Formats: sequence, structure tokens, C-alpha cells
Amino acid sequence: MPVKINNIEKIVKPGSVAVIGASDKHGKVGTAIMQNYVDVGFQGKLYPINISGQPSIMGKKAYKSILDVKEPIDLAVICVPADATSKVLNEAGKAKAKGAVIVTSGFSEVGRKDLQDELIRISNAYKMPIIGPNCLGVMDTRSRNDTLFLPTAKIDRPKIGGVSFVSQSGSVGSSILDLISGEGFGLSKFISYGNAAVVDEVDILDYLSKDKDTNVIVLYMEGARRAKELTLIAKKITKAKPIVVLKGGRTESGSKAAHSHTASLAGSNNAYHAFFSQFGFIEAEGLEELLWYGKIFETQPLCKGNRVGVITNGGGHGVLAADALYQNGLILPELSANIAKNLRKIMPSIVNIRLPLDIGGDAGADRFSAALSALSSDPNIDVIMTITLFQTPGADESVASAIIDAASRKEKPIVVVSTGSTYTKSHTSIIEASGVPVYESPDAAAKAISALVKYSKYKGVIK
Amino acid sequence: MLLNYNSAIKILNKYKIRNVESAIVSTYDDAVKFWNGKGMITMKVISDKALHKSKNGLVSLYLSNPKQIQDAFLILKKRALKLKLGKYKIVVQRMILGGTEIIIGGNIDQQFGKMILLGLGGIYVETFKDFALRLCPISKNEAFSMIDQLKSSNIIAHDAKSRELIASLLLKVSKMFSENDFVEMDLNPIILHDETYDAVDLRLMSDKG
Repeated sequence: MPVKINNIEKIVKPGSVAVIGASDKHGKVGTAIMQNYVDVGFQGKLYPINISGQPSIMGKKAYKSILDVKEPIDLAVICVPADATSKVLNEAGKAKAKGAVIVTSGFSEVGRKDLQDELIRISNAYKMPIIGPNCLGVMDTRSRNDTLFLPTAKIDRPKIGGVSFVSQSGSVGSSILDLISGEGFGLSKFISYGNAAVVDEVDILDYLSKDKDTNVIVLYMEGARRAKELTLIAKKITKAKPIVVLKGGRTESGSKAAHSHTASLAGSNNAYHAFFSQFGFIEAEGLEELLWYGKIFETQPLCKGNRVGVITNGGGHGVLAADALYQNGLILPELSANIAKNLRKIMPSIVNIRLPLDIGGDAGADRFSAALSALSSDPNIDVIMTITLFQTPGADESVASAIIDAASRKEKPIVVVSTGSTYTKSHTSIIEASGVPVYESPDAAAKAISALVKYSKYKGVIK
Repeated sequence: MLLNYNSAIKILNKYKIRNVESAIVSTYDDAVKFWNGKGMITMKVISDKALHKSKNGLVSLYLSNPKQIQDAFLILKKRALKLKLGKYKIVVQRMILGGTEIIIGGNIDQQFGKMILLGLGGIYVETFKDFALRLCPISKNEAFSMIDQLKSSNIIAHDAKSRELIASLLLKVSKMFSENDFVEMDLNPIILHDETYDAVDLRLMSDKG
């Protein structure tokens, strides 16, 4: 058994990059990758490599081969056709590249295992880790390393943050990347690993679990390549930071004839569900949930229980929130006596002092602030859900500021529910950018809180 | 293939997993001797090919006199012949009245290896599909979390004592499944009764031909 080649530090944060197959012809993958490195302002050295011998590409001196560069190269990004890949990979090895991302497709995914085996052989010969082939590769928001061949004009790049996203699939990966940008929460790293010829999800999860710039890992997978190895390191990783996972391919194949009731019930998907719940993964049921959970974990502290204090400026939404809490295994508690007494003194007589705390359609920043600070100090409450309908006369940017203020104290997890379009979004995007997750429905917020509760239990914060 | 009945019982006993008193009989006289004038017995056909015994009429219950035992013996033989089961055996057991039926099972997943299952048992297994699954071996906390995951947790484990009973049984079965080369395993039903339990039916499949 050869030593596992899995140190991807220089692939993720390279000081120098050679783009093999770089081009400036419209519509080529090699053009998009070069353009991105130029557009996002990559801080390291960039060497375009093209066999045609043109002297420069996008204003950078170009080389016929990576061997002509004669400078240290950390990462080789390879986007030449499949049948030319092993040759240039071999040259990258000779040039002592510290790693390679192979974007090119046409390997085991189309039955060319022979071509892929050749890549593995070269990787072993030079002890050079490879991500891919058939992948989007890597994006690191801090070093601005970006091997994605998705033009910046077509897909938004998220702001810098603590969520790292790992996806086997390139297409799911890129659509989630676009969605993350829209959600207004921050990304640390994006890694799409495709066929996983050398570096696979076990190596990537291991790396991210130790990465100080990552505080949440969001994972899309269709199947584990090394399930046994994954079980060996899974608890270490999930104890270090939350992993939100979406498993694609949920339909049971049912090919194996079962001789027992157990075997007929314990199909491969149920085995995955069992693995996820036993090893502390937070499982999402779809792309939306992946985002809902990602943003609560990125910004909010863990909670000490499942009692949720709801503040609302709309009565009906308070009722929906109470339902949503119940359906998701959460509790709407009673206010503690002295907190209730204080609130009675502060709030006008139209406000009933009980949860959900309906502070009225005319509530402005004063009432929101008072309610938030009361619930923050109430020992009966573990998490705060603030329903803020910006359509009401009292709600404006001062209410948004009041919420951001309360959340910045990080005493308890706070989430916001806000439903609406243009005017609402102008405020919620500021709230989210300030690190408070916003959800469009009480149900979405309750599901996210429930995920936080689950992980807080796993971590032992909830006894 | 299905592990033979006596070897399977021996393994259960080795891991101190309680099972109801039973015997393989080749004549109805043997069956009457086993009954020995005490209470009720059940009689059933066991075979590689008979997974759904009740559905196929391969189980007789509430037998409490020699005539009933003799009739049941002859009927089961006739049905086994009709179903072309090939090799089969007839087993008699003491009958447990009342109690709650659970299933504890084992399976090998292609990705994750040995798995253990707990569910509402007997004829409800496939109707309600109320079960919890974990990778082997499990810890005691995981055993409790399996119980809590069931919709029927209040039915099968209604107090601290019964939770403890099921959790420790799960640990024994997890150990047995981890240490032996079974590929599939059903202990179904295990009947919870009188503050204890008894495995009533079992299928242990080994991959050794």
C-alpha cells in the first residue's frame, strides 16, 4: 500500500500557479481560468502555459512547457484535453510542482480508467497530490486562488467568511456557490474534487477540520469512496467543527436480494443516514436546508437548550412560529416571572406579556431593543427568533440596527425571520452581512435552530 | 446460508442472550413429550426458503393438548411439502402469552460494514418500518439513542428499567454480530415480557456455503 498523498495545503493556498492549457481565445476553459486569476486579483505568481508558443497571454509572459518556467511552482492547474493530460502532469512532476488540479474530463467517468490510472501512477512517482480529474477545483477567498472555469460575470463570488464548501459534483457545487453569494454569508474555501483519483473527501475533510479559516464545513456527496476510513476520522472532524451534509442519490437500488427483514430495511441510504447521525454530521434534506444550516453555524454560538423565545411584530407570524417550533422538536417556553414583570413596565398596554411576544405592528427600534434585551437575559430562553416584518409602519433601518446590536453581544443564538421583497431585502441583506442569519419563514428558521440544537447536544453543550 | 437451528441457539447462549425453551422434533410424539402437559406450545417450520412463516401458514400457536399437537404436526408437514421447501425442520417452543415484540437484526452494508438494527417487531416490522440503524459496534449511549429514535419507543421501552434491558440486549447482540461471520441476522420477534425478554425466532445467515 503506497503512502497516501494528501497534503493539499499548496493546492489550496499556492504562492505560484501555472495554468497548463491557458488561452485567450473566447469560450475556452483555459481562457476562463486565466481570466479569473486576473480578475479576482490572485496575489501570487501566475504562469500561463500553452504549447502553441505564443509569447504572452493576458499580459503575462507565456511558456510552451512548465519546464521552461525555471521558478518554483506550487500549483499546476491542468485544462488540456484528456489524452494530453498525463504528459503535462508528468512535466509538472518534473518541475517539482507541489500539487495539481486537473479540470479536464474524459477519465473514469466515461470508462477511461486506464487514463486515470496513469494520473495516479504519476502522482505516486512524484509524491504530488492531485485534485480531480473532472472537477472545478479549488477556490480560496483569502489567497484568491481560483481554479474555477466559471466566469466572474456569470457567477457571483461570495464574500470572505468561515464556511468551506466541499462537493464531489461540479454542477451542484457551482450552483451552491452562486446561492451562497446571494445569501450574504461568507465563504472560506470551495473544493470540488470530481473523480477523486488521488485526493478524496476523507483527505479534504481532514484538511478543513484543521484549517483555522474554516468554522463550518458544508458537504455535498453522492457516495463515500473510502467509507471505512471516513468512519475512522469522522468523529474527530465533527467534534472539531460542524459538518452539514447533503447526500445525493437517495433512491435505493435494491439490487441485493434480502434473506432477512433486517437486510430489506437496512438499504444503503439508511446506512448513510445511520452513519451521519451516529457520527455527528448534520444532514440536510435539500439544497435550501444546506444553506439554512450553513449560515446559522457560521455566525451563531451553540445553544444550551431547545427553548426558543419568539419576538414578533405580526401576530399571525407568531402563531406560525409556535407551530414551526413544535413541529421541529423545539419548545416555546414561559417567560420567567421577573423578566415578565419588567417587560410589563416597559411595554405599552396593547402588548401581551407572553411568548410569542407580539410587540405590535407599530413597534419601532425601542420596543425591539427592549424585547431583545429582556429575552437575552431570561434564563428560560436558549435561542431567540425575531420575526421582523418590514412592511409595518414602525420597522425601518433603526430596527435592523437594534437587531444587529443585540446579536453582536453573542449571548444567545439569534435568528431573524423576515418575509418580503425589495424594501425588506434592502434591510435583511444588511442584517445578514452583519452576521445575523435571516430566514424567509418561521419554518426555515425553526429547522435551522433544530440543527443547531442537534449539534449542541452532540458537542455536549446541551446535557 | 441459514445457520442450523441448534448452532444458532448455541451462539445465543454463548452471548447470554435469552431465548425461549425449544426443541427440534421429528415425530409428533417428540412434540407431545416436549409439551409434557405444561401450558401451551407453538410449532413452526424452519427452512432457508421460508422468510415469511406466518403469512405462509407455517406456524401453529396455542397448542395445549396431544390431539392439537398431532394435528398441527401433520398440517405443517403437508404445507412444507406443498411449498416445496426441500430441507426443513419442525421446531416446538414454549409459548409466551402477551408482551411486546421487537426485532434486533444485523446486516453488512457494502460501504460501512456491519450494522445493527432495532425496531418494532413481529408482524409490524414491514408495515410500520419503525426502526433505528447504527454502525457496529455500538456504545451504550448509542443503544439508548436507537431506542429514543423509534416512534414506538414509549411502547417498547416505557420506563428506565425496560430501557436498560433493551440497551444491554443491544450491546450483547452488537458484540455477537461483530465477533461472528454472519452476513445477515434477524432476531424477530424478541418478546419483552414480565420485566425480561426472550428471543423467539431467529435467522442467522452465514456466507459460508
